Amino acid sequence: MSAPVAIVGAGAVSAFGIGWRGLGEAVAAGHLQPRESVLLRESHPGTFASEVSEIPAALDAGNARARKLMSRAARLAAIAMREALVDAGFAERREEIGAWMGVGASGIAMEDVPAIVSASFVDGGLSLHRLGDQGLMACNPLFTFQTLNNFSLCHGAILEGLGGPNAAFFSRGSGTAVALAEALHALREGDCDRAIAGGADTALHPVTWAELRREGFSAQGLVPGEGAAVLALARGTSSRALGLLESCTAIAGAQAGTTPVSGELELLPQRADLVVIAPWGAPARAWLGDVAVTRYAGAAIVDVSLRLGDSLAATPALAWVAALDLLRPGERAVVLTLDVDGDLTAAVFRKESP
Amino acid sequence: MRAAWVNGTGAVTPLGRTWRETCDALAAGRCAIAPIASFDASGFPSRHAAEIDRDFSETDRRTALALDAAREAWAAAGLDRQPPDPLQVGVFIGAESGRLPFSTLAALARAGGPGPALDHGRFSREAESRACDLDSRLVSPAVVAARLARELGARGSVATVSLACASGAAAIAEASRAVRQGECEVALAGGVGADVDPLMLAGFGLLGALSASGMSRPFDRRRDGFVLGEGAGMVVLSCKRGVARVAGIGRTLDAWSLTAPAPDGSGSLRAMRLALAEAGLESVDVVQAHGTSTPLNDAIEARAIREALGESLPSSHVSSIKGALGHTIAAAGALGFIAAVEAVVTGTVLPTAGLAEPDRDCVLPHVVGRALSRQVDSAMVNSFAFGGANCTLVVTRE
Repeated sequence: MSAPVAIVGAGAVSAFGIGWRGLGEAVAAGHLQPRESVLLRESHPGTFASEVSEIPAALDAGNARARKLMSRAARLAAIAMREALVDAGFAERREEIGAWMGVGASGIAMEDVPAIVSASFVDGGLSLHRLGDQGLMACNPLFTFQTLNNFSLCHGAILEGLGGPNAAFFSRGSGTAVALAEALHALREGDCDRAIAGGADTALHPVTWAELRREGFSAQGLVPGEGAAVLALARGTSSRALGLLESCTAIAGAQAGTTPVSGELELLPQRADLVVIAPWGAPARAWLGDVAVTRYAGAAIVDVSLRLGDSLAATPALAWVAALDLLRPGERAVVLTLDVDGDLTAAVFRKESP
Repeated sequence: MRAAWVNGTGAVTPLGRTWRETCDALAAGRCAIAPIASFDASGFPSRHAAEIDRDFSETDRRTALALDAAREAWAAAGLDRQPPDPLQVGVFIGAESGRLPFSTLAALARAGGPGPALDHGRFSREAESRACDLDSRLVSPAVVAARLARELGARGSVATVSLACASGAAAIAEASRAVRQGECEVALAGGVGADVDPLMLAGFGLLGALSASGMSRPFDRRRDGFVLGEGAGMVVLSCKRGVARVAGIGRTLDAWSLTAPAPDGSGSLRAMRLALAEAGLESVDVVQAHGTSTPLNDAIEARAIREALGESLPSSHVSSIKGALGHTIAAAGALGFIAAVEAVVTGTVLPTAGLAEPDRDCVLPHVVGRALSRQVDSAMVNSFAFGGANCTLVVTRE
């Protein structure tokens, strides 16, 4: 019998703002609408997105110097991690707390690339010799800090003093579910007693959005989003538990095309009172919606992507906290996501009756 | 609980197309580091690397390297003759983002205007027309694992660990966990790094982490930074008894700095102690150190190894293959793990190339010159990442 794992806190930053409480209710009530993106205004004007608005200084990650070293995803991750740790009351022995995160490719500030390139041209042609010299001098020396994917985990870990077992999984969705599954395993195996797990990413980087457009996702209804969400987990049951984490599964569908093969659906849980889905666009929405309706007849169904868009590595984690917000005592929730690589993820939460 | 056994290994490095070729060259004390030949690096502060002098049919160099190493490991495990149930095969790969050819990046940047400031509107219009060059197969870290899964017909868990220099070791740790818990019967795990390119040379150069002398000299008094390398290391793990067992895993975060280890070595020391404790050991015969050749890291790691092994230290042997292969980033932990498996299986303890004058801050029972041959029952592998993530693995014969 596997040891129970309790969800004892959460954190989120999204278009809804900073904080996870009320996020599910706002999504379910349709209170959030994608708006014209500020981040993409110059490169892709008129793009509707689910974007994190200005972050109040008091709630921001680290200090101004630390933020210069952060990609946007790392900054959002650090905010969500802090909220989850505080929410869980994880104030002591933080060096023992595990951390697993789904992370995207950290987009460097676009301004750095032309600065390097411009300094590297000689007579209209690119000179790698010049790049290694003048190009390097023209570059923001902090540029490297924004480029490593795992820094979306490590910035927050450093700011919050987390020192336990850990991993960062590259994710456009399913890697974030792998992160939660690994946290669950680690807690059950006793590698740690407390952990955080989640995801952070932004689809609102000019290159990321250009890539998603090229791959045809925009034309099929993908609304770009951004955010971060983190669950704080503890081994055993707890009187302060917000819910129990029963399972988390990632089913690779990339080999089978854009949707998983039907036999693998048998891996999904059987019963749910609440189904939260996060499809990236219209084809995925139709497929996931069909699964939700046919497999979980009678369950309430909430589509978070209609309100929060698709934020790649952050998408499953935002769906989890939305489900947590909506989950009522005695209920069981299944969170299903289908990402742009065709990978399906399923997380199951339960809230015990008082 | 079940054990995770090593059933096969494979590697592609600048010293060999297979692990056997690589191992023989390493044992003989050969070094792959040379002036960079794949592009003009004459203007860069560091101009040397350990490069693989081959072109591949695969578009993405990471995938090409990983495929060759995976095929070798798969065959060594006998799975090419007796394929396992696809639903019971997992793939766990350490990989970082790939990079577009620098000429493509430069063209994209030029799409944003000729000057040093980016014209976002122009970039959008022009870059879209060059979108065919924005090939996610060259950039996404997840491409490697997906391609390997397709090659092997794997239908179990597929995961990509992006944990910088600890990616490969962490991927093996995740795979070991999956095998031990019965999530899969067979796991392909390892790491790949193909980072000898202008952007990475610029990035690590900006950090001051690269060797200006062009020498990788782990634990040497004259060490002045690491040298980039490229390669792939893959292992096949399963619950079926194999040549060595993954006996201990220790993972920690320094929570100190993005680029420097905690000065007291506490993060890496905790990782080593956790791995040793899980293995039920207080000593090991061999340590395959992270040993990057950077002044700070080597001294702090040496101190942590001394503390971790205590009085048993003199009876162990310590080396780092980065002296010969450079730092292969996401592949480094996997290649170090394979070197540790080699020690346990054949008793071959590989030397640290480039180490001639051990630093007084790095006093350890080093292996220099040529490989040693002795009975090895246990070996420990260290893998530490930018950002402060540490992963230590212990392998044993039994």
